[in-house]
Amino acid sequence: MTHTDDHNQNAGTNPAIDRTLHRINRALLLAALILLGYLLAVYVVYAVNLIQFPFDYDQGEGFELYDVVLFGQFQWPYADIETFPFYGSIYPPLYHLFLVPFYWLFGAEYWYGRLFSFVSTLITAYLIGYAVYRETVRGAPQAAGRLTLWVAVLAGLAYLGSNIVYHIGPLFRQHISMVMFETAAIVVLAHVNEMADDKRRRRVLLAGFALLLCAGYTKQLAAFTAISALVFLFIRNPRRAVMWGAGFALVGGGIFLFLTIATGGHWWTQTITANVKDFNFGQAEGLLRTFVRTHFWLLLPAALMVVYEIYFDRLSIYSVWFVAVLGLNAFSAGTWGAGDSYYATAVAAMSVLSGIFAARSLNATWRFAPNYLSNGLIAPLRRLTPIIGRALLIVVPLLYIGYGRGVFHMPTSGAVFGQIADVFGIEDNTGYNFHDPDGYITLAYAQIGHLLTDADRAGGERIVERIREIPDDVPVLSEEAGFSFAAGRQIITNPVVLKILDEVGAYDSGELVAMIEAQAFGLIILRAQFYPVAVNQAITAFYEEDERVTMNGFSYIIMVPRAEPLR
Amino acid sequence: MLPNRPLTKRELGMICVVVGIVGFVAVLSVDILDAGREGGIGPAQRLALGLTLALVLLGLSLLPIKDDLA
Repeated sequence: MTHTDDHNQNAGTNPAIDRTLHRINRALLLAALILLGYLLAVYVVYAVNLIQFPFDYDQGEGFELYDVVLFGQFQWPYADIETFPFYGSIYPPLYHLFLVPFYWLFGAEYWYGRLFSFVSTLITAYLIGYAVYRETVRGAPQAAGRLTLWVAVLAGLAYLGSNIVYHIGPLFRQHISMVMFETAAIVVLAHVNEMADDKRRRRVLLAGFALLLCAGYTKQLAAFTAISALVFLFIRNPRRAVMWGAGFALVGGGIFLFLTIATGGHWWTQTITANVKDFNFGQAEGLLRTFVRTHFWLLLPAALMVVYEIYFDRLSIYSVWFVAVLGLNAFSAGTWGAGDSYYATAVAAMSVLSGIFAARSLNATWRFAPNYLSNGLIAPLRRLTPIIGRALLIVVPLLYIGYGRGVFHMPTSGAVFGQIADVFGIEDNTGYNFHDPDGYITLAYAQIGHLLTDADRAGGERIVERIREIPDDVPVLSEEAGFSFAAGRQIITNPVVLKILDEVGAYDSGELVAMIEAQAFGLIILRAQFYPVAVNQAITAFYEEDERVTMNGFSYIIMVPRAEPLR
Repeated sequence: MLPNRPLTKRELGMICVVVGIVGFVAVLSVDILDAGREGGIGPAQRLALGLTLALVLLGLSLLPIKDDLA
């Protein structure tokens, strides 16, 4: 029986109306595909544009590159930050280790880290589509076919179309590859407890936990996905979950202990102590409001899917994952230095769940287990099934169109984008020839996504030129590593690490302040001044502004030693 | 001894009720134990209390579903 027959049987009336509704359904699905396909095209243009840019676009990219360089030279980036060159890293090593072969082949370059991140988003989108198709067909083999495939593609595109994934997708940052490992782990573990073959089940459990470890050692935030996977496994088989969870903790803890010992304790200080940051409830609330507003039309079916599974079906790993990462990451997004990127995992979970909801609705394969709620709430609605089934044919594609509208973003200038923006009346709301659903107004929302221009590149090159004017034996202190890389200079300090550890009393800035007071640096280049207070005060007292250079919309301050220090 | 089988909706409901009550008490205890703090229950705490209460209600609503697998 095809889904069309199924619908006709459910409807039981007027095949002509059903044929018309199915045509409208296909037209709307096509419109949704075009809309989300367009956002994919925007994403590809942004990625290609960014991959070619040789400086930091998002502050901190250069330090991730430096972690790759250090690993490539068989050195730990988790080092003593109180002595020259005052460098430390707050991130786990896996993303950087993956990039080491590229460093050996091509040297210190931004493009391969950005390309790696971009490809990881495509893999995640594929995994999301695969999960939607598999879960839909698993419960209803008759749903196998083109319609479910369309929905699976839409689900993958929904992930790539999210403005949050778009922002950070092609960055030289580890966050988005963590989401890839998290998604892979969840997809692998989804039905592991139902495997009858003991050997196969153990292999799959091993693969799932290995992927969770990969996610965790890519970025610490993956702990929330690990928690949700363990909760799901506990629901499906408590004894097995505890045994495997203990093994997982043992291996994960063992690696942690090894890194702590091998780095003389710096791993602990920089990845744990430096991640205990101030919490701003207003920031968490603002980011949550923005996320819900922009992603509402797919959050709704995802939430309905969770409710359905709680009361009328078995809880899937995707529901547990969605609830856990949405709640925990929404809370974490309030910490200093966090941002909308913290919702990327929730976007992946939302895309899977809403995709399953859409595919089940279009294939009319909902089933409600008999209980007091289905008897009281669902049974009286059964006579409306034909109407609801028909309505869903229209509503489901509209959800994707509504979502595409909610997350819509694009450049508003340039050869093609400028014309499209003119035709549809899409205006620049960021000040960077870019339309963003948030307009860069929410606190801690990533103010990135706009395309880079020749002027941005020229700005970076101007700063490099200034560095090259300084004799090679005189160090230069730059708040971003990209300029030092381009000028062939040593990377000195990772400001954010110093700042956070200073705030928790785990950093003594004495040696760095002494160098500043001795005017040991030929130049100091500042952007956000994310240094400890004592360091910023010393810079102000012993250096003065000589030039401001604009790059990516930010004003970089080039400071030179004062002839007469202020103290 | 932990069961070597899936939990039922009722068992999951009972776990939610217990975790919710323990969580509620724990969130309230933050103020009781931290005697030096001022200002009463903050917005994050209020949210946490609401979530723990919601968990209790969720658990209670699952109890009548009995033997269906969670």
